[in-house]
Formats: sequence, structure tokens, C-alpha cells
Amino acid sequence: MITKFLNFLLAPGLFQSPQVAHALILGSVVAITSAIVGVFAVIRGQAFAGHALADFGATGASGAFLLGINTLWGFIGMGLLGGLGMDMLGRTPRERDVTTGITLSFMLGLGSLFLYYVTTKTTATGAPMTIFFGSIFLVNPSIVSIVIILELVTLLLLVILYRPLLLSSINPDLAYTRGVPLRTVSLLFMSALVLTVEQSALVTGALLSTVLLIGPAAIAIRLTKRLGTTLLLSVFVGLVTMWLSIVLAYDSAQLPPVGRGWPVSFFVVSIILLFYSVIYSFTTKGSK
Amino acid sequence: MRSENKLYSMTLRLSLIGGFALMSLAGCTADSSNSTSPPYGSKDQQIQNTVIYAVGAENTYANVIQQIGGKYVSTTAIISDPNTDPHTYEASPQTANQIARANLIVQNGLGYDDFINQLEAASPNTKREIIDVQTLLDDPNTTPNPHLWYQPSTMPRVAEAIATDLAVLAPVHKTYFMHNLHIFEQSLQTWDHAIAQVKQKFSHSPVAVTEPVCDDLLTAANLTNKTPWSFQAAIMNGTDPSPQDVNTVEQLLIKHQVKVFLYNQQVVDALTLSLLQLANANHIPVVGIYETLPYQHTYQSWMTDEVLALQNALQDHISTERLS
Repeated sequence: MITKFLNFLLAPGLFQSPQVAHALILGSVVAITSAIVGVFAVIRGQAFAGHALADFGATGASGAFLLGINTLWGFIGMGLLGGLGMDMLGRTPRERDVTTGITLSFMLGLGSLFLYYVTTKTTATGAPMTIFFGSIFLVNPSIVSIVIILELVTLLLLVILYRPLLLSSINPDLAYTRGVPLRTVSLLFMSALVLTVEQSALVTGALLSTVLLIGPAAIAIRLTKRLGTTLLLSVFVGLVTMWLSIVLAYDSAQLPPVGRGWPVSFFVVSIILLFYSVIYSFTTKGSK
Repeated sequence: MRSENKLYSMTLRLSLIGGFALMSLAGCTADSSNSTSPPYGSKDQQIQNTVIYAVGAENTYANVIQQIGGKYVSTTAIISDPNTDPHTYEASPQTANQIARANLIVQNGLGYDDFINQLEAASPNTKREIIDVQTLLDDPNTTPNPHLWYQPSTMPRVAEAIATDLAVLAPVHKTYFMHNLHIFEQSLQTWDHAIAQVKQKFSHSPVAVTEPVCDDLLTAANLTNKTPWSFQAAIMNGTDPSPQDVNTVEQLLIKHQVKVFLYNQQVVDALTLSLLQLANANHIPVVGIYETLPYQHTYQSWMTDEVLALQNALQDHISTERLS
């Protein structure tokens, strides 16, 4: 009974599979960066911006499929363009809302045109699933080291930005009087957000890439008020979610339809929802 | 040999990229469907003589219609581009017009060309004959592999049904259609003979595939397909195969457990490309397989060439990644 359960939990070949090994490395770096950047994104109220950036990236990834290059470049290229545009165009929140909405619709429309060409004019198969829901097990191994470097750049950017970013996130007026260059900080953080979200899209797909950004961060913020602890907790939740999801997705090949395996992204969102509901019910009860 | 392959795959990739760029330019004006050129007669003559307008949902069936119908039929194929994945085809308004005009339609069924049922329902026509190959062969909806034309017993029955329907539509030319049917059936013998040879020499040889496109042909030649079905189905449907399956197929190639790797040139993703590289690196001969009729081929010559390529691979370890 116990061995049977263990056999399911750690399905045969789990530790020998190179696909799983690559997925674990890629998933971990993505989860760590997302968890850290996510805390700031939640504090700054830019969770939705993160989602919009991933949608921008999806159009770039569709274009990348059309050109036959790795989707990572499409995701990041178009994401940076979108992030830059969003940061430049919208000054007031309402303005930002409308401009983001209109450019986002246009970009997704462009993406639909690209995907139309990919599906009707090329031999490529499975592009929509890969772009929107991710395929971490099939990521080209050569891309893993590039992702690690880019994630390190992102984290380095955050370390440099840490103090001014924190101040301008919590109290912009005070930051302004202290002489913090708000525009520069905002633009740099936007770049970090783009890099985070687009690389997360490789794992969970463009539609779900914000789950690793806001999920662990939101859970951590509910549990503690100290920033350092929040960051650590967020990383912990992100990593546990990622590892569990990869192992469960690997195991799920034993579930119907046998041999196929459920998508990793499904497990990621399920585990985050589960964690969040549990923490939410506990913390609300405690405060009463 | 190896560097040659590398060079080949590089030029291939370059030409693919160039091709995409061209296609995206040309795609604005050109429709994906093309009339198959009539075997003889000038265009004016053809229009004068045409009494029947026929549509093949795939150019494979259109080619057979044209061979049977000859000068009395003008045939259009809906899915005809050998450089695309037919599973992801989307119908355009032009397609709807072609369906509305047609007197005879041949379609595959089994969900492969579902769009055509909707178009037929949208333009009812009591004088239209429809041959649904799935129905003709009495295959249940649960048949997992929709690529019926790779089964040697399929096309003779389809051709017979086409001849019968054409004779109903134009009774005056019945003898002509039956004569063409006879010629078509005779010409299939080359293919049957090629299959028999492979079967005789290489029965039970293990092979691997990316996608189930030619599975029925492999069965006919009595070869053993070692690829897990769940893997083939995932590639066919454009979803991700499980890491376990990917590993199984990789091991088949690395450990030389298969003699040939049959590669569907029309259903390609990063994974199939990496498997292609793996096969080349391990000197496992590759045979390129097509879903729709390649340019410059008839149904018979295409099927025969695929089997000859398979035989070359089994016998002399020669790769044929693309049919010329």
C-alpha cells in the first residue's frame, strides 16, 4: 500500500529523466525570481500590468514560431516593447488603464494573425498550447543556461534598485522629496517585471505566467509584515509549488488518459489556489 | 555523411525561413487551395468539356477524382499545401463557395476534415454526391488513426465509389469513368508489389515514428512500430507528450532499437526536430512522411516512393528526408 503510494508519488524514471531535470532547474530559477519580483509588483499594484506584459509576450512568441526562432526571444522582445510603451504612454492611472487596454487588444489581435499563419501556412504543430499554457518539459536544454543568466540579471537589477524601489513603492511622495528618480526607478522595475513574467511564460504559458508572480507573493504578504521574511517566504512558497507541480505532472502520466500526462501549469495554479485559500481562511479567522 | 546532413538541415532551415517570409507576403492574395491541373487538354477545351465540378477535401482524394474523372471533371482540393499541418486547417469563405458549387465531394471523415461537414450543411444541394471515406470503410468514430489513405485497401474502394458516383452524375460517360478506374486499379500494383517486398525481407523490423500518419502502411508491411501510441497521439493533436514518452522514444534512437525513423514533415515542433537530430547523430536512417500529396506526384507515385524510401532505409541505411 505504502510502496504503491510512493510509487505513484515518485513515478518510475523520475530522477533519471533529463526532461524532468531541465524542468526542475528552469522551474526553480523562474519561481525564485517571480516570487521576489512579485512581492514588489503586489506592493506597487502592478499585478495586472504583469499579466498584460505576458499577453504582449504571447504575440512575440507567436511571431517567433512563424520565424522559427526560440519563443523566449519573442516573449522578451515584445514584452520589453510593451512594457516600455505602457510606462511611457500612461501618466495617470486612468490614462494607463485605457492605453494599456487598447494596445493590449491590438497586440492580441496581431498575435491571432501570427498564429493563423503558423497553423495554416507552416508545419508547426502545438504552437497555441505552448504559447498560452507552456510546455516546461519540452524546453530546449540550450535555453536553460540563458534563462539562468537573465534571471540573475533581473535579481541584480532588483538588488541595485532595492532601497529607492522600496521607498517609491510605499511612499512615492516621500521618495520624490528625498530625490529618488521616480521615472527611472519605475522604468527599470518595469524591465525587471518584463524579464520575470516572460520567462515564467516558458513554464506556465503566457495566460498563466502571473500566477507565479502574484501567488507566492500574496500568500507571503498575508503571513508576515516584515519585508525580508516576506521575500523569503514568497520564494519558499514559489519553490515548493514549482517542485510539487513538476513531480505531480510527471506522475499524472499514470492518470487517464494513461501515458499522456497533465499540463504542469494546471498543477501550479491548483496548488497556489489551495495554499491561498488555506492561508486566507486562517488569517481572516485569526484577526477576528 | 554527417556533415552533409548538417549542411542539408541548415539549408533546409534557411529555405524554410525564406519560405515563411515569402508565404507571409504571398499569403495575402493566394488561396491555399489549388486546382489540380487536368492530365490533358488545353484550358479552353477543359472548360468546354467540364460537366462535373468535384472537390477533394484533401489533395490526395482530389488527385484520385481527377484520375477517374479525366476530361469531364474539374477538381479542386481544399487542403493542398504540403508545407502545412493539415490538422490545423481553418476554412475560408472561398472554401465555402467551392463546396457550394461542387457536384461531388470526397472527404476523409474521422474528425480530420470536420470543417467540410459544416460547409456542406450551410449549402444544401440534393444533386450533390458526397463520399465520406470513413463511412465508406465503415470505420467507427473511435478509430484512433484518421490517416486512412495510407492503408492499401482504402483507395481502391474510394476510386470505385468515385467512378460509381461520376457515372450517376454523367451517365453518358460511364464507360470512360470505368475505363479510368481500371487503369487506376492496375497502376496501384506497383505500390502493392513494393509493400510485399518490404514485408518479405524485413518483417517485424522495429521502427519509430513521430506521428501516426503512416501507421497503417507499417502494419501492411508487417513492421513493428515501437513508438508509444500516447506519444504519437500527442504530436498529432499538438499537445505535449509526457516526459516518460519522450524518454522512451529518445532511448529507441540512442540505443539503436529501431532500424528506421519515420518523420512526418508536415507536423513539426521543437521536439520532433530534436528527435530528427538525434536520429541523424545515431545514424538511424530517416524517411520523411507526408500527410498530403507532395508536389509533382500522383497518389500512386507518392505511396510507391514512400515504400521505396522505406526499403532503401531498411536495406542500405539510406535516409530520404524529403521526397523530390
